[in-house]
Amino acid sequence: MKVSHIALKNIKRKFFRSIAIIISVTVVAATLFSVTTVMDSVETSLEKGTARLGADIMVVPAKAQAQAKATLLAGEPSTFYMDRNIVDRVRKIEGVKAASSQVFLKTAKYKCCAVNDMQLIGFNPSTDFSIKPWLIKKLSRPLRDNEIIMGRELTAFDVGSSIRIYGKDMKVVGMLDETGMKFIDNSVFMPYSAMEKISEESKTKKGVKAANLPIDKISTVLVQVAPEISAERVAIFIEHEIDGVKALVTEHVISSVRKQLFVLLRSVFSISIILWVMALLLIGVVFSMIVNERQREIGLLRSMGASKGNIFRLIMTEASILSLSGGILGIIIGGVFIYVFRGLIRSSLNIPYLWPSPLEFIILIAICLFLSLATGTGAALYPAIRSMRMEPYEAIRGGE
Amino acid sequence: MIEVKDLSKTYKVGTDIVKAVDNVSLKVEKGEFLSIVGHSGSGKTTFLSLIGGLTKPDSGTVSIEGTDIWSISDNKLSELRNLKINFIYQFSSLIPTLDVIENVLLPTAFSRDKDKKYCDYAMELIETVGIQDKIKSYPSQLSGGQQRRAAIARAFINRPSIILADEPTGDLDEETEIEIMNLFKEMNKNNGITFLIVTHSSELAKHTNKQYRMLNGKLNEA
Repeated sequence: MKVSHIALKNIKRKFFRSIAIIISVTVVAATLFSVTTVMDSVETSLEKGTARLGADIMVVPAKAQAQAKATLLAGEPSTFYMDRNIVDRVRKIEGVKAASSQVFLKTAKYKCCAVNDMQLIGFNPSTDFSIKPWLIKKLSRPLRDNEIIMGRELTAFDVGSSIRIYGKDMKVVGMLDETGMKFIDNSVFMPYSAMEKISEESKTKKGVKAANLPIDKISTVLVQVAPEISAERVAIFIEHEIDGVKALVTEHVISSVRKQLFVLLRSVFSISIILWVMALLLIGVVFSMIVNERQREIGLLRSMGASKGNIFRLIMTEASILSLSGGILGIIIGGVFIYVFRGLIRSSLNIPYLWPSPLEFIILIAICLFLSLATGTGAALYPAIRSMRMEPYEAIRGGE
Repeated sequence: MIEVKDLSKTYKVGTDIVKAVDNVSLKVEKGEFLSIVGHSGSGKTTFLSLIGGLTKPDSGTVSIEGTDIWSISDNKLSELRNLKINFIYQFSSLIPTLDVIENVLLPTAFSRDKDKKYCDYAMELIETVGIQDKIKSYPSQLSGGQQRRAAIARAFINRPSIILADEPTGDLDEETEIEIMNLFKEMNKNNGITFLIVTHSSELAKHTNKQYRMLNGKLNEA
C-alpha cells in the first residue's frame, strides 16, 4: 500500500467537496489557458507577419493613415495612392537601407465563386525585399506576368489553378505561409508590371470592369532601416522631408495592437486573478477543514509509524491530484473553447491571429499545469504543515 | 526491554496544572503480559502514550530495547513505532475510507521495506481474528466487535515486539472480551510479544500475569 492510495481513497470519500475543488481549479486553468493562448496567438502572428513584411517602416499617404493601419492589421482591402517618385525620395533619406514600393488594387466581385474583394498587391521585383526572399526559397525564379502568389487564407484556390482578374487569367504558382496578418494572408501578390498589364487590358475587354490603376502612383513604400539608426528616427526624417506622407513604424503599429489587446484582455485577466484568489482561498479553507476533520486519523496514522513527512505528503498528494485534475480539465475545456470559437475570436478582436506552434502549445500547457498545481499545493501548504506538526497524542485526543 | 525512569507529564486545564503522570518508573521485560488498572483520569492513557512516543514527557526517560525514544529524531521515532510498537485503542481506530484488508495493511504504507509480502500475513491475521468474510467491508459496515478485531489484526501486521492496548475490550460484550484476551495471550505465548494493557476493569486485568495500579498519576504494583 502506498500513501498515494490513501490520498485517492480520501478524495473519493468526500466526492462533492473534491469536485468543488476540481471545478475551482478548472475555471482558473481554463480562463488562463484560453487567454494566454489567444495572446500568444496574436503575438506569434504579429511576429510572423512583420517578419514576412520585412519592413521597419511603411510610408503611406498621410490622409490614408487609418486606412493603411486597418489594411496592415485587419487586411481590409483598400486602395490609396501617392506619387511614384516618393520611393526615390525616401531612398535618399538618412538611415534608409532599402526602400521598395507596392501598389494596391481591389479585385472586382466575382460572380463565379465565393471570393469577395481581394487585395491585389503589386510589387517591384528589382527592389522588393518582402516577397522576393520567399520566391527565391520556394519558386527559385521570378514571377511571370501571368503568375500570382496567394496568401494562405485564400483557400478557394489551389496552386496550379487559375483566377480571372479583371478579365485576365492568372495562374497561382505559390501560397505564402500563414502569418495570421490578413494583409498578407488575404492578398494576391504579383509584379507591378503584371498589374499594369491587367489594368491596361481591362480597359479594352468587353464586359469587364476597368481596373483603373492610376498611372505613376504607388500605395506604400516599405522601408528597411540601417542597423545603426532607429526606425523612429528615420520615420521622423521621412515625415520631415516629404510632405503629405505618414511613416508608420511597424513596431509601433504592433505595439498599438498589443496595447489594444492588453486593454481588452486586462478585464479577463482581472477576472482570472479574482478567480485564482478565490480558488486559493477555497482550497485553503477546504484543506483546513479536512485537517480538522481528520485530526484523529492523522494522530492514528502517526501512532502507526507515519512520519511527519508521510503526513505532509498525504495532504499534498491529495491537493496535487485534485489541482492537477482541475488543471488538465481546464486546459481541455479552454482548448476546446478557443478552437470552437476561433472564428468568433478572430472576427471580434479584428487583430492578427495565428495558432501557436506545437512547442509553444506544450509550453503553455506546462505553464498552466504548473500554475494549477501551484494553486492547489500552495493553498494546502499551511494546512499540511499544521497537520504534520500535530503531536500524535493531542491529535488523537483532539479528534475525540 | 521497556524501561521508564522518573517519568512525569503535566497538563494545563484552564488555570489549573494537572499532573497526569507523576514521577513514574517501570521496567517491563520482553514477553511480559501485564496490565495497569486505574479509574478514568488516573493518567494511565497518558502513561501509555508516553511509552509509545506519542507525547513528550516533561521529565524522565523512556527506553525501548536500550534506545531512549526522546533522544532520537522524529523519523527514527516514527520508524520505531512502525516496526516495534503498536497500539490498540478503546475507540474505533479504523480509517473509514479504507476497507478491512486496507486498514490491516495500513502500517505497511509507512514501512521502508516495501518489498515485504504483507498480503498473505494480513489474510492470516484477519482469519485469526475471525473476520475473513469481511475483508472488503468498510468500517461503517462492521459491528463494534468486528471493528475492534480488524484493529487488532492491524496492530500485528508489522510483527511488533510491543503492543500497547488502551481499554482494548471497552464497550464489548463479555464473550468478545474473553475471545480477544485469549487472542492476546496466544500472541504473547506464541510470538513473545510484550503486552501492556491499561484498563479500568480489575476483571480484565486478571487475565494478565502482572498487574499495576495507577492513581493520580502514581504507579504501584497491585
